[in-house]
Amino acid sequence: MLKTGKPDVSPDALAHTPGIMQGNKPGNYEKQAGHKPDGRSTAERSTGVNADTHEPIDPSMPNLSPA
Amino acid sequence: MATRERVKPEAGNLVEKSWDPITRIVGNLGIYTKIDFAAKEVATCKSTSSMFRGYSVFMKGKDPRDSHFITSRICGICGDNHAVCSVYAQNMAYGVKTPPLGEWIVNLGEAAEYMFDHTIFQDNLVFVDFCEQMVRDTNPSVMEKAEKAESPHAGIHGYATIADMMRALNPFVGEIYQEALVVSRITREMICLMEGRHVHPSTVYPGGVGTVATPQLFTDYLTRLMRCMDFIKKAVAMNDDIFDFFYEAMPGYEEVGRRRILLGCWGSFQDPDVIDYDYRNMDEWGRAMFVTPGIIVDGELVTTSLVDINVNMRILLGSSYYEDWANEETFVKQDPLGNPIDQRHPWNQTTLPKPQKRDLDGGNYSWVMSPRWLDQRTGDHLALDTGGGALARLWTTALANIVDTPYVKSTGHSVKITLPKSPNMPQHDLEWVIPQWSNAIERNRARIYFVAYAAAMALWFVDKGLEEVRAGRTKTFEPFTVPDNAIGVGFHEAVRGVLSHHLVIRDGKIANYHPYPPTPWNGSSTDSYGTPGPYEDAVMGTPIFEENGPDDFRGIDIMRAVRSFDPCLPCGVHMYTGKGRTVHQQHSPMFGANNGGG
Repeated sequence: MLKTGKPDVSPDALAHTPGIMQGNKPGNYEKQAGHKPDGRSTAERSTGVNADTHEPIDPSMPNLSPA
Repeated sequence: MATRERVKPEAGNLVEKSWDPITRIVGNLGIYTKIDFAAKEVATCKSTSSMFRGYSVFMKGKDPRDSHFITSRICGICGDNHAVCSVYAQNMAYGVKTPPLGEWIVNLGEAAEYMFDHTIFQDNLVFVDFCEQMVRDTNPSVMEKAEKAESPHAGIHGYATIADMMRALNPFVGEIYQEALVVSRITREMICLMEGRHVHPSTVYPGGVGTVATPQLFTDYLTRLMRCMDFIKKAVAMNDDIFDFFYEAMPGYEEVGRRRILLGCWGSFQDPDVIDYDYRNMDEWGRAMFVTPGIIVDGELVTTSLVDINVNMRILLGSSYYEDWANEETFVKQDPLGNPIDQRHPWNQTTLPKPQKRDLDGGNYSWVMSPRWLDQRTGDHLALDTGGGALARLWTTALANIVDTPYVKSTGHSVKITLPKSPNMPQHDLEWVIPQWSNAIERNRARIYFVAYAAAMALWFVDKGLEEVRAGRTKTFEPFTVPDNAIGVGFHEAVRGVLSHHLVIRDGKIANYHPYPPTPWNGSSTDSYGTPGPYEDAVMGTPIFEENGPDDFRGIDIMRAVRSFDPCLPCGVHMYTGKGRTVHQQHSPMFGANNGGG
């Protein structure tokens, strides 16, 4: 049997629990990797893991956002 | 439930004939006519709805951010039109503008909805009235002519004679009937891609959409769109052949369902470069829509101004089961431009239902009020119709001569639509030319042309959406806050015609909310000035071409006239008619009061 720690939050806690980040919270969109201040986005947005290595390898290539 | 006495001829040769409910439409519409069989003409007509919905009553006090989710449930087929219209009204009230990519996504979803809904209604519901089985039953001599009539466009659709085509329209077994069902599935998938879900969108919100706009989203949509393209090209050719044949086979058929040309269109497909959802600029962004809003009176385009359309809307009590709200609260005295707003305007309407017995002889007989448009030039309260949606949209767009996009262009007297090469067909250049009449056949013909219009527009919207994604402008929504006090209005086109949502917010809650979909306009009862509603008007005076006599009368010409408007009165069925005699009559106008009967 796997040993797990004590949960920090009770499983039936409300979604809007203080301290829990909400995806739609004002400012959340802007601070994610790959989101430029002018509202555009780049390839860096593709992942949260080593985001800055996901830019195109050749600068002449289009910097396409995954979405 | 009382059993009604047998239909008896009245003065002269008038025979009472009633259809309640009318089948193959959404909802419980009843048409009560008196027919002069000697003169082969419908003498009088009343259209009734025996269902009360009450959205304007229970929306009060709710959080305005819920309104698009709630009002979407008004309809089980065009709910996304309601959601989008509500979002437009909320955007105005909250002062928020959807980012361009979000606007293209909504346009794509709505274009797919027009394609889906018009196709399923036309091929699976309307064409049952024009199929071999029906025509053989009602007009055997026309069927004989159809067997000999060669199809002018056989080279496109592959049906040598009109009769071959009519056989393909037979319900459940016909080839076209079945193919249309497949197309309606594909087009619904297209809506789901853009709006999350059909018919109640899950990703359409005020301020934008929650759709994740990847290149794959647009290519998934595009491949489905191109799969429908062959079908649409064939369908336009088939529709032209069938409808032209009806004019030819039955001279005078243009009089069926014909009424004065009084058309209204509230515009569709926003242009993100222009729209800011500010009421004060509404004329400008209204005219920039890719279906031009407007009102046509006797063939003349009276206005393309959404402010003009809004300010002159009047809701008359007519012959409906409501009490007057003349002494109730006035929510909006003037609009943001300073124009006075009437007490009979949707912003100021208070719905006071008063259930009562149906009285078709000079009394109240319907739950549908009488929306009218006040023509300031003449002082007339015009009973506008939507021509089933497509006719008014094409007509106003053609006359306004504004729309100029790569695949769709307005010319001032027609609309040109280009459908590019598709898997099995070359490029088709279609032209919808303004017809001579506003009648049953032209309403039906316009419907299939608007499917082509929506498909052609969708092709361009895909390009515009991909352009945004490739430029990295991937934002699909803007945050907003709900003001304590605000008003808003959304103008849109539901599939079957004009749609408006009027919203008043007080203390952050809904103080008043009035959706006005197309069917209250089309199916309205005779108003306080004695003006009949469009269904009534179109059916009255309709000549009878059916070859059956009074005993086995099907009322096919009347049904074609009424169904051409694409009626939609959600939703309930509780009466039955057989052999032209009304077997049951239910006096309670309340849906559900005696449910399960009939």
